[in-house]
Parts: sequence; structure tokens; C-alpha cells
Amino acid sequence: MPLLRYFSSCWRSLFQKSRLDEDLDEELQAFVELLVEEKIRQGASPAEARRSALIELGGVEQVKERVRDARLGAAMESILQDLRYAVRVLAKSPGFTSAAVLTLALGIGANTAIFSVVNAVLLRPLPYAEADRLVAPMGEKHSPAAHTVVSHPDFLDWRDQTQMLENVAAYTRSSMLLRLDDAEPELIYGANVSADLFPLLRIRPALGRAFTRDEDQPTSEPVILISHGVWQRRFNSDPNIIGRQLKRGGSGAGAIIVGVLPEGFRFPVQESRTDYLRPLAPALGEWAQRRGAYSLRVLARLKQGVTAQQAESEMRAIGQRLEQQYPDEGFRLGSRFVSLYEAVVGDVRASLLVLLGAVGLVLLIACANVANLLLARAAARHRELAIRAALGASRWRVARQLLTESLLLSLAGGGLGLLLSLWGLDLLVADSAFNLPRLKDVSPDTNVLAFTFGVSVLTGIIFGLAPALLAVRVDLYEALKEGGRGSTAGAARSRVRGLLVVSEVALSLVLLVGAGLLVKSFARLRGVNPGFDAQNVLTTGLSLSKVKYPEAEQRRELFAQLVERLRAVPGVESAAVVYPVPFSGTTTSNTFLIHGRPAPAPAEKPAANYRAISPDYFSVLRVGLMSGRAFTEQDRPTSPRVVIVNETLARRFFRGQDPLGQRISIERASGQSAVQDMSEIVGVVSDVRHAGLDEEAGAEVYVPFTQAPEGYMDVVVRTTAANPAGMSASLRDVIRTADREQYVPAIQTMTELIAESVAARRINALLTSLFAGVALLLASIGIFGVMAYTVAQRRHEIGVRMALGAQAGDVLRLVLGQGLRLVLLGVAVGLAASLALTRVLAGMLYGVTPTDPATFAVVALLLILVALAACYVPARRATKVDPLIALRYD
Amino acid sequence: MRPKQTNLLQGTLDLLILKTLSLGEMHGLGISRRIGQLTEGTFHVKPGSLFPALHRMEQSGWLTSCWGESEANRRAKYYRLSRAGQKQLEAETREWGRISLTIAQALQAT
Repeated sequence: MPLLRYFSSCWRSLFQKSRLDEDLDEELQAFVELLVEEKIRQGASPAEARRSALIELGGVEQVKERVRDARLGAAMESILQDLRYAVRVLAKSPGFTSAAVLTLALGIGANTAIFSVVNAVLLRPLPYAEADRLVAPMGEKHSPAAHTVVSHPDFLDWRDQTQMLENVAAYTRSSMLLRLDDAEPELIYGANVSADLFPLLRIRPALGRAFTRDEDQPTSEPVILISHGVWQRRFNSDPNIIGRQLKRGGSGAGAIIVGVLPEGFRFPVQESRTDYLRPLAPALGEWAQRRGAYSLRVLARLKQGVTAQQAESEMRAIGQRLEQQYPDEGFRLGSRFVSLYEAVVGDVRASLLVLLGAVGLVLLIACANVANLLLARAAARHRELAIRAALGASRWRVARQLLTESLLLSLAGGGLGLLLSLWGLDLLVADSAFNLPRLKDVSPDTNVLAFTFGVSVLTGIIFGLAPALLAVRVDLYEALKEGGRGSTAGAARSRVRGLLVVSEVALSLVLLVGAGLLVKSFARLRGVNPGFDAQNVLTTGLSLSKVKYPEAEQRRELFAQLVERLRAVPGVESAAVVYPVPFSGTTTSNTFLIHGRPAPAPAEKPAANYRAISPDYFSVLRVGLMSGRAFTEQDRPTSPRVVIVNETLARRFFRGQDPLGQRISIERASGQSAVQDMSEIVGVVSDVRHAGLDEEAGAEVYVPFTQAPEGYMDVVVRTTAANPAGMSASLRDVIRTADREQYVPAIQTMTELIAESVAARRINALLTSLFAGVALLLASIGIFGVMAYTVAQRRHEIGVRMALGAQAGDVLRLVLGQGLRLVLLGVAVGLAASLALTRVLAGMLYGVTPTDPATFAVVALLLILVALAACYVPARRATKVDPLIALRYD
Repeated sequence: MRPKQTNLLQGTLDLLILKTLSLGEMHGLGISRRIGQLTEGTFHVKPGSLFPALHRMEQSGWLTSCWGESEANRRAKYYRLSRAGQKQLEAETREWGRISLTIAQALQAT
């Protein structure tokens, strides 16, 4: 095939010097032999003949060098020639060119944007040395919630006993108020980590040093490492920062800055930012001694040559040993290791790949559209091509020219698409809902540029190939004879065009079905009743300084006062405090014992979520009281301990019994109060989905906050105003009156909190719908183009039909029928493809099956209607054909 | 590089090679000798100009080449005019006629 030979000869002259050289060597050798023979025939002696032949040839190497230059020059020349011609041709039809480039820019831009995200999140290796040996222990199920949590004493035992792990480090996330002399306090985010984290991640501070195990003891003097960013931003890159005291907001105790983290360092499992790292044990305080306080997550580095399986069996063995040693704690370490990479990106991979697939389909549709445009143009350029062929341009030369044009189009589209993608990425990254790990690192690196270039070239070949090949099939005689109206090369072309319509319809159908399923499950999810009324409720979290309020009584007093004051604010209907507020992302689970029943094995102890509330909490959130009573002001620290349970707990543990009056004891690992205290169940309330709309309510215990005072509570306020957000300022004032120094984080509405909890699903549904919408638009433009072209081509025939008595209705049916046949075929193919493909969405759906018949039906119907609308305009135009003019035309 | 001279020579050489090959396929030495004959010895094409020209013209699609046997059963690389080469020869012949006429007239004008 000549086209291939062209590419391969370019390839050869550019890169495969050696084979060409051999051939050239041989050619020159043969030349010399012929010359020698000629000279011998003229009477020279063999030796003399050879000598003069070599002289005539001149330097072999020189000749070869000149040949190589000539070949390369000619190759470049002919490429430049094609390019110049292509630019001229494209510039001559700006309408076509801009339509094609814009379509391609849209397709390639979307692909580049999503690929940039995939590149940053999935493809780039973790930014730590020998990251392939980093692992995280997990529970049975793979989900973020399955991260193993351990207690500090268990972690220390594990660290001391392991043979398989080079390092084990424990951590918790944390945040703190950074108060610099006169600036507004700033909330910064970091992690409390054990000293082993530094060797584990191979981190070397940019300044100063890491902290040691000696500084990671419960009673150690507090030290801290700050991030490069905080150092630059808040300390003006002060080189003498080491040794300075960092005052924390609220508490008087300051931490000594011992180091500055390297630039760009980010804690692996904390997406947004790492402003500081500080030692774990001092931050845990007395919790560091409690074997029952499981709150630490763990990272580990496998020893060189140790497999994850070996480390897993060791982990299980150590876990069992600890369980036997401390039977009361019901303890277990993780059951398996996953790579740190997997732990970081495992949950987002599926949805990212789905998005990448979706934009890929969009690009294919864009290709089909541009191929359509090119075909229509090729028909119009029939004559030009035929004349070029008549003038001696070989077929492959013509095909090559057309391919150069399409490559030029696709590269222009790719360049524009790259710009579009940068803009789109800014929008995406700025949307806090698109909260992916490592997304902050997104940037157009060489991977992205190579991807865009590759996709552009591939695109150009995909959409340019069919028209180019069809052009090669042009029969000179036919083309010239047919003249402008050309129709038999037309037959092949209209088959291809039909095929393009079918595939465009099929591809858009797949996308629409996917988007439909995601949108439907999002709607289902938003329709779920969370079990409380989120309308007109404001919330914010308050953390009381332990220095200012060391006694439980003081904290209780402050919160009680605060609730009173909030209630007095005009526009406030009711107010309460709760910890933790629903949809905050915080859960507190505790085991409990039921009075009068034998104590179960540690691993089988019943567990429930635990929530401390003030009396009006249920009326603020409008949670229904099923039986018994709510808490009152009379439930004081000194009065008998009482709890309220939810329906699920009542059903699960008191089947067939009246839960009211039963007594349970909650085992709490927090606070200074006794670990076990008997409490009477005084009420049952309806279930609330605290953890998320897609999570069924679990067993739940509510206790009066007066009987379990915490230093941290969330405030909830129900307003009468229609615009609850407008109340934030007055709420902030009230809180500041109670304590002038109190830091008040952002005040949010409950509806915002719920929306945030489904933000990831929203953005998935949104992006997929956006892509499906673009696909639908492109497909309808494509169908419109094809039908309009067909009508223009059949004008003569339609004119004849009308002259023979066909009515406008008949013509309309004729054209619509032709369009409908193609569309229906596309829908059939698309439905079959969707049935096979939507399975990949299974994990992202809620309350909808991947083959939901309603979605399939609605989407197919929608697509048929849109396609018919796209056919209708050309069909109407066909009915306007004047037989007289049509027949007189050429 | 001597651009002016090369360009003039290149154009002429190309035309001569095209003309030579229009009579049938030929190997490098044959082409060189035939040009000598056609121009009655005015042009003696050296291998250092001949081979670059042949390869450049092959690359431009005017010539095709293949290995074959010479009259004396020696292996040699043969060149042949392609369809595009044929057209090129016609075009260049016309152009040459026009240019040489114009230049001859210009030179006689004074």
C-alpha cells in the first residue's frame, strides 16, 4: 500500500539510517563493479580499471553523505509542500475549518482535562522513596472505613514485636489554631504522628530535624515541625525559626519548632494539606495509656524482600497474642495489607476511569462528526481531486494530502483543546466537591502533553482515514463524467455516512444511559429521608480551651449558658448542643452491656454509636419521640444516669421487650469519668441516618451532655427565618459574648452538610451528564448534517417524485423514514452496548440497577426524539423542493 | 553549499535524468553514460551529483527503484519513471522551453 510505503520511507530516512546505508553501500558497490567492467572492456588492466573507477566515484563516504542529505531534504520538502497546501485549503473554507477545529477542541480538551486528573491521581507514583514497600493495614472490607484503628499501647507492642516490617508508624489527623502575635487566628491542619514516620516515609526536613522517639512520649515537652508553606507564608521563611515557640490557640502551652518539612511534602492519606506534624503520644495525653482506645491509623514499610502475605500472617499472629494477653479489650489488628497507593486511590479509581471512558466516547463522536464534514467536503472537492489526479498526482499522494489536512485539523484542535482543558481543570480543582486525593498536584506535565499530542494524531488518523481511503478509490473517468453531482463513489460514501450516524447514535446512547443511571441514583439518594428536618438549621463546632475550662463543671456551665443565649436571639426557634452532629463525618462507637444478661465474649459485645445532647436536641432537628420521654433540665450530673436509644437499637437488642426501664452500661474510653456506669433507658426515638444518606442507621445511644461533658460540642440552631444563613453573624456575636476569645469556625446550614456528604456523587453525575449532553449535541449536529446533505443530493429525485404527484407528506415520510432507520439501528446497537457496559457503574449506583429498564427506555426515547428533530429540518426543506427548479438544475 | 549554482544544476540534472529514464529503466552508470551521449559529452555527471539526485527524486515520488541484473549478469539498482515523474517531465520540459526562450530573447535584446 503506497500510503504505508510513504510513511515507512519517511521513517526510514529519519531513523533507520543503517538499513538505508547498507542498501546505498550495495548500490555504490554495484556501480563500481559496472564501471570496472566498462574500463576492462575499453582495454584497461583489472588493477588499473579498479583504481580509476574508484577515482571516478570520489570518496564513498562523501557520496553517501550527500545522498542522505538529499533524501532527508526531499522528504522534508514534500512534507512542507503538503502542509503549505493543507493550510491554504483549510484557510479557504474558514467555516468548515472552525467547525471542525472547535468540535475536536471540545473532544480533545475534555479528554486532556480528565486525563490530567487521572495522571495526577492515579498514574504518578507516590512521592516517597521506595514507595512500593509502603503498606496500610486494613480490615475485611475495602472501603475507607476499613482502615484498621489501633490503640497506642497495642501499636507500641506491634512496633516492638514485628520482624517483617522495617517501620510501623501510627497517626491521627488533627487541626489547631495558629495564633501569631497580632494576626487573626488561623485554623491549620496537620497530623499527630509517631516518630517512626520520618524513617518510614524517608522524609528529611528542609530545616532543623525530625523529632525522636524520646520526644514521642506522653509526658514529653511539646515539639512540632511546620510545613514549608506555613514557614514561608507565616514566618517569611525566617532561617532562625528553629527553637522558636509556636503558641497554640486557646491553650497557653506552646510547642518548640524543631524543623521545617521539605517543600511539597504531603501526608499520604490526608488529601488537602499538611501544615504541621507533631508527636503522637503527647497529643494523646492520658489516652496514650489506654489499651481500649482504638483511634490510631497505621502505616508500615515492609522489610526488603518481605511479601505482604508474610507481613499479614505476622500481623494476625501478633493480634491474636495481644487478644489473649488482654482478653477484656476484644482487640484485633488488621487482617490484610494493601499498598499505600491502593489505600490512597483505591476508592476513586473506578469513578475516574468511568469519567475517562465517558470523555473517550465523546471524542469518538466528535471524530465521527468531523469525518462526516470531511466526507461532505470530499464530495464537493471531487472535481479538484480528480483534476489533481489527472495532472499526475498518484492516488496515494492525494490520500496523503487529505490525511495531512486532517492531521493539521486535529493538531489545531488539540492545541485549542489543551487551552480549554487548562481552563476546565481550574474550574474542576476549584470545586471543593471534586475532592480527590493528590488532585492538588494536577498540572500539565510531559505525560499530559504527550497524551494530548498522541490523542490528536490518533484522532486525525481516525477521522481522516475513511475520507482519504474513499478518495483513493476515486475513479478518474467516473469522477469527471459524473461532474458535480457525483453519486457512485457517492454510494460508498453514503454507506460510510450511514455508518457514522449509526455509531454516533450508539455512542451517545451509551453515554446517556450511564449519565441517566448516575443522575437517577443521585436523585434517589437526595430523596432519602435522613430522619430529621434539615431545613432552617444552622450548625457550628465549638472547642473549649482546656486551660481556660479545666473542670467538667465549667464546660457544662458554658454550654448550658450558650444554649440559653442562643434561644433568646430573635429569629431562633430552638437551640441545642450535640456531639457529634449528623453528617459531620465523625462517628463515635462504643460497646455496651445490658443489665441482667450474661456478659458476651469481647468480640461479640453489642456496640452503638454514642451521642451527647442537650434537652432540646430532638425538637431542634425534629426527630420523632416514639415512646418514653426526652431529656430535661432535671437530668443533671448528680441525678440518676439516663439514656435514650433509637428504634434500631430497641429492635435489635430488645426484641419483644419494652426497652423503657431497661438498664445498660456504656463502656467509654473518654473523659475522666468512670468507664462503666449503669443508665436507664427513658425514651426511644426514630432512626436518623447520621453517617450518610446511603448508610442505614445503626444502633444509637443518646446521653444527656450534662452527664458526659466534653470539651467539644456542636451547636445546632433552628431558625424561624426563611434565610438561615443570614443569621450566622448574630450567632457568632452571641458565642463571642459568652467567651470573647472563643474561636468560631464557619457556620453552616444542615442542608449544606448533607449536600457535602453527597458531593462526590453529585460531581460524578454532573460531569457524566455534561459529557452526555455534549455527546447528544454533537450527535444531533451530525445527524442533521448527514440528512441535510442527503436531501440536497436527492433533490433531483425528490423533484421527479413530486412532479409525478407525491405530496409534501409523502416526501416528509420518505426523508424521516430514512433517518429513522439509521437512528433505530444506532439505538439498538447502543442498547446492546449499554447492557454490556453499565456493569462498571454498579459500585457507583444507589437504589438503581445497572440495567434499570426505565432509564434505558427513557434515554432511548429521548435520543430518538432528538434525532427525529434533527432530521425534521432537512425533511421540511425537502418538501419545499420546487419540481420545476429541481429538474432544470443541471 | 553554493545555492545558486546547485539550483541551476539541480534543475537541469533532474530534467536530464527524467528525460533519460523516459526511454526505459536504467541503472546509475547507464544513466550517467546516456546523459553523456545525449548531451554529446557536454555534461559529465559525476556519481557525487548523480546519486543524491536519484535518491531525492525517488523520495519525491518521481522515480521508483528496484534491484535487477545488468546485461553482464551483475546486480544493479534500476530506476524507472513513475506516473508522477512522467507528468513532472512534461511540466519541466514546457517550463524549460519557456525559460530558455525568454532568456535567449533577453540576451539578444541589447
